[in-house]
Amino acid sequence: MKSVPMLSGAFLQPAGQSLPDPLLAVRNERAAALADMPMPTRKTENWKYSSKYLKLTEDMAATLPATEKASSLDVPGYRIVLNNGAINRADSQYPDQGGITVQHFSDLDADDASSLAQKLGSTLDAEQTQFAQINSARFEDGLLIRLAANTVLDKPLFILHETAATQNGSAFPRIFVEAGTNSEMTLVEAYVSEGDSAALVDTVTEFQLADGANITSIRLTMEGETVQHIGATGVLQQRNSRFESHCVGFGGPLRRHDLQVRLEGEGAETKLNGVVVTQGKQHYDNHTSIDHVAAHCNSEETYRNIAADQSHAVFNGRIHIHQDAQKSNADMNNKNLLLSNGAEIDTKPELEIYADDVKCAHGATIGQLDETSVFYLVSRGIGRRQANVLLTMAFINELVEQIPVEAVRDTAQARLNDFFDQTFQEA
Amino acid sequence: MLSIKNLHASVEGKEILKGINLEIKAGEVHAIMGPNGSGKSTLSQVLAGNDAFEVTSGEVTLNGDNLLDLETEERAREGIFLAFQYPVEIPGVSNLQFLRTAVNAMRKHRGEEEMNAAEFMKLAKEVSKQVDLDPAFLKRGVNEGFSGGEKKRNEIMQALLLQPKLAILDETDSGLDIDALQVVSNGVNALRAEDRAILMVTHYQRLLNHIVPDYVHVLAGGRIVKSGGRELALELEEKGYGWLGIKDEDTSN
Repeated sequence: MKSVPMLSGAFLQPAGQSLPDPLLAVRNERAAALADMPMPTRKTENWKYSSKYLKLTEDMAATLPATEKASSLDVPGYRIVLNNGAINRADSQYPDQGGITVQHFSDLDADDASSLAQKLGSTLDAEQTQFAQINSARFEDGLLIRLAANTVLDKPLFILHETAATQNGSAFPRIFVEAGTNSEMTLVEAYVSEGDSAALVDTVTEFQLADGANITSIRLTMEGETVQHIGATGVLQQRNSRFESHCVGFGGPLRRHDLQVRLEGEGAETKLNGVVVTQGKQHYDNHTSIDHVAAHCNSEETYRNIAADQSHAVFNGRIHIHQDAQKSNADMNNKNLLLSNGAEIDTKPELEIYADDVKCAHGATIGQLDETSVFYLVSRGIGRRQANVLLTMAFINELVEQIPVEAVRDTAQARLNDFFDQTFQEA
Repeated sequence: MLSIKNLHASVEGKEILKGINLEIKAGEVHAIMGPNGSGKSTLSQVLAGNDAFEVTSGEVTLNGDNLLDLETEERAREGIFLAFQYPVEIPGVSNLQFLRTAVNAMRKHRGEEEMNAAEFMKLAKEVSKQVDLDPAFLKRGVNEGFSGGEKKRNEIMQALLLQPKLAILDETDSGLDIDALQVVSNGVNALRAEDRAILMVTHYQRLLNHIVPDYVHVLAGGRIVKSGGRELALELEEKGYGWLGIKDEDTSN
């Protein structure tokens, strides 16, 4: 019998030791627990469609160095630049408003560090997020963002994840956000890269929302063709809190995002929007999971995938309504557009409902551009290429327009235009 | 302007047009009438370039140029306009974006400067008044949630914006109440010009009370079986298609 490939021990060896003891303890504990972790294969349920894209070689295990290179992105608002997961103080502009603290894990005092150590990873289902566990064994530093009660951040906070794939290696960015009672913030994470060596970005962002907190999370994934990206976002929501997520993802050799939301307090609301486009031989896999734990919570999820050429997109959306979560209202919708016969999209809604008085709707479709619509547009003199672009954009327009930060909409649109240029050739 | 000679066309291997001959000159308004299934809509679609229909023989020229060699978008840029019997709904593309893209594609083809958003908005608002459409519709998706009458008025609005050489109106009167029919007819009459031809395809005579044609042709079994002046339409209304030896399941109107 063929043996199951194991994760190389090299992927569990952090480079630096410059963290407070409680956090070093977290890392060591995780590394020990993962010592015999099998690599996902197509028989691993949550990696079924994506394991073949995962190509980790031992020469990618080392942490990529902190380059301290200034970010190429120009953003309006507060910004923190991470080079290969390491915080670039000089190129960052920390929020100067009262009520918000942004601390580096490496700077935390013993009390804060041990309090964080208790919470780190608590927002995620460990079994479903194997690579978040690897991040927990490997993070070299991280950002702890805390909003005091009633603090409303006046501008979006951008976190710019810059990966310099100028040599083979990995980056393990880690972010933990604690939003106090009735606090509000928009956090934008943008992932970009330069260089063409083989790199792994294994990133984890966690949110804890106290009663009435209101957090908008925006995520743009647009690294290059040699970067494998595996991200996990965990969200815990208390009473009457609101979480809104906008993810825009561009395909790559391997792209994976797990988004897990637990609605733990009554009246909590979550809204998850996602757009993915893939072309060439690219891949993108979104796994989302919403746990309705408490009663009277709402969730609304809308994901759109567009796959061109021989690319492959995956959507797996799980909704779990727990026994006590009466009067839950859940709506999940996934629509998919195939732009070529060679492209593949797999979509899998998963509903588990244990309460009897709930409203739960879900729908998934896969289709192609409508020939009648194309004919209508070209019969008005519009070129076939432009007609294809208009109709493809129409498929995701609504979601792009809902992104509440103009600079992000513009960046996403510019990248989408590149995608259209490469996908639809001039006739 | 438009010359159709011995045009044969089929869809999915079934021959629908079996030798159409038709000459249309600039400034003329022609009506093609005929029972359901006679090939009226097929003729419209073939002229506009829908490749679901295969032209098996014959020729069509527009001002001497072979129309059948051109792609749909090229035909449109050369001045062919088809008002659809069933205009398509396209959520996610606003009417404004659609109309401006189309107008600018035409302008670019003619070597004119493209219109910016503000210039176009002004023009679009003026034209929307002409067909009695609330300018608020410009912000909505193309035909999205429009009533049948609104869709038809939007078609005529497009014709007014694009100023074609030959406007083909496919059952533009179907599904319209009397008021909407009046609005649409006024729009079409505003299109009438010395350098423009109009080809109306219709099952019923009533549209021709509002838009008076110069010529009327009866299409049956994929051929034009009778041509005449305006009076032919009235005769058809009175006698139905039966007196021409044509069967029609639906002559009650």
